[in-house]
Amino acid sequence: MTKPLLEINQLSVSLKKRRQVLKAVDALSFKIYPGEIVGLVGESGAGKSMTGAAILGLIDAPLFISDGQILFKGERIDQDASTVRGSQISMIFQDPLVSLNPLRRIGDQLVETITTHLNMSKAEAFKRAQTLLKDVGIDPSRINAYPHTFSGGMRQRVVIALALASEPELIIADEPTTALDVSVQAQILDLLKQLSKTRGTSIILITHDMGVIAETTDRVAVLYSGRLAEIGSTKDVLTDPQHPYTKGLVAATPQINAASLHEKLYQIPGAMPDLDNIPQGCAFNPRCHSADDRCRTQHPPLFHDRSACWLNDDGAKKP
Amino acid sequence: MSYVTAHHLTRYYDLSDPWIVRRITGRPKNILTAVDHVSFTIKKGETYALVGESGSGKSTIAQMVSGLLKPSGGMVQIDGHDPYDANLSPETLRQMRQRIQMVFQSPYASLNPRWKVGNIILEPIKSFNLIEDSTEQLKRVTSLLDQVGLSARDAHKYPHEFSGGQRQRISIARALASQPEMIICDEPTSALDVSVQAQVLNLLKDLQQEFSLTYLFISHDLAVISTMANTIGVLKNGQLVEEAGATSLLNAPQHDYTKMLLSSAPDIGAFI
Repeated sequence: MTKPLLEINQLSVSLKKRRQVLKAVDALSFKIYPGEIVGLVGESGAGKSMTGAAILGLIDAPLFISDGQILFKGERIDQDASTVRGSQISMIFQDPLVSLNPLRRIGDQLVETITTHLNMSKAEAFKRAQTLLKDVGIDPSRINAYPHTFSGGMRQRVVIALALASEPELIIADEPTTALDVSVQAQILDLLKQLSKTRGTSIILITHDMGVIAETTDRVAVLYSGRLAEIGSTKDVLTDPQHPYTKGLVAATPQINAASLHEKLYQIPGAMPDLDNIPQGCAFNPRCHSADDRCRTQHPPLFHDRSACWLNDDGAKKP
Repeated sequence: MSYVTAHHLTRYYDLSDPWIVRRITGRPKNILTAVDHVSFTIKKGETYALVGESGSGKSTIAQMVSGLLKPSGGMVQIDGHDPYDANLSPETLRQMRQRIQMVFQSPYASLNPRWKVGNIILEPIKSFNLIEDSTEQLKRVTSLLDQVGLSARDAHKYPHEFSGGQRQRISIARALASQPEMIICDEPTSALDVSVQAQVLNLLKDLQQEFSLTYLFISHDLAVISTMANTIGVLKNGQLVEEAGATSLLNAPQHDYTKMLLSSAPDIGAFI
């Protein structure tokens, strides 16, 4: 079996509040293999973005990594990610207007990123910048344009070119298409898929949109209250969800399907708990139809490397 | 019977430089047509959905139908009256405003953070003089909160104490307070998580049945629209490019733009 590119072991990100320790991410473990696109999905506050930030070492006080390890190609990066950040792991943010410097030409921003991470002269870097723009579908002759002259989708392409500049092996894309129109979103997702295929780059795609997950990712991890609820191949998780939360998410997502017209949508009662109010046992138990006493007292482990739900406990030996 | 009739509804925005600058530089006037001769009708008790990408004119139409923005051309009739008719008596205009309410996209921006929820919901009741007696007013607020799935105690809280989905419920309760016949929903669930979105959409459906409300539903999300609408209008650059009953539009789209929208919408149904 191939070695994982990124390995997250029992990662916890915590926050001290008065005498409490609140966990934004709680004992999260998963692996990313080379060349695959993995989705992190969950509702706001589930810890998706926090996990992405932790991988890049971008956790700032008062938050801190309280437990666990992050291994990139076998080396620990949880204490100091500066050697890989921006070079081997890069990031795409939600809003391309915020991640580009409005006062500098896109070419200058690309050249700066390239010369910082790769050993290149300015002239070589400029050439590489043109190639990168071409790769993401922007006319290289626009290399001296300012960000405001591009549309939202084109700006996001520039951001992707920036993320690719250092030839990273892993890209963390945090809601890369949430600010875009559907037609542009489809183009950007296609571009990410194609880049992952041709370059063998792994991508962690953080999103709240199950539709985006369905159409883009190879595997998906479902997060709830900072914990892993379910993980598996996208097809398995969406067609045969094991965790009641995943089942609810899939059922609550509206489908473009004339048959769904005027039927009621499935709704999960309640809302995700606040960090200082996560219930005992399984975090999902107050919203779960099948919760029993064990769910209210004991935190379920991940069964069969798939689902953290006591329903999936068939008495096989515990992990 | 149609409740809303929009006839060649048009709205221009003048983005020209000042007159003196145009005289010096010789630049022509710069007129943006946000809505371009859009006509549609909405039947009483039904949901008409407008779908389109940003800049297609969806929200401009919503504002013109709600009586907040005067059209540059064409006209809109609500229950037989034109809200922009200068001859309309102030009393008729008040009645029209009472019958049309809006629910906006962001429940964070559309509720006054310094007002208690009870007062927010009470405002339309007071301003339209619907209930005079203060104990009766309080009862009405309680029953409105109950209808949208909140408790009577919530009336004494401030908006920041609620989650996004609950705040959208407050917006809906405020819209219901004036006993409207029509609610214009402008992207009511775009800011919400999917499980909460389902709760709010189901609530809107329940309320429609209970009070036979007419909805003008605006969204960029075809999946959401397909669960809500009787009739769908597709907008592109201010023009209505296709309009049909929801089933036929989704199953057999005619216009290329509709086909493109349908194919690019990320759909979980692709797998299931």
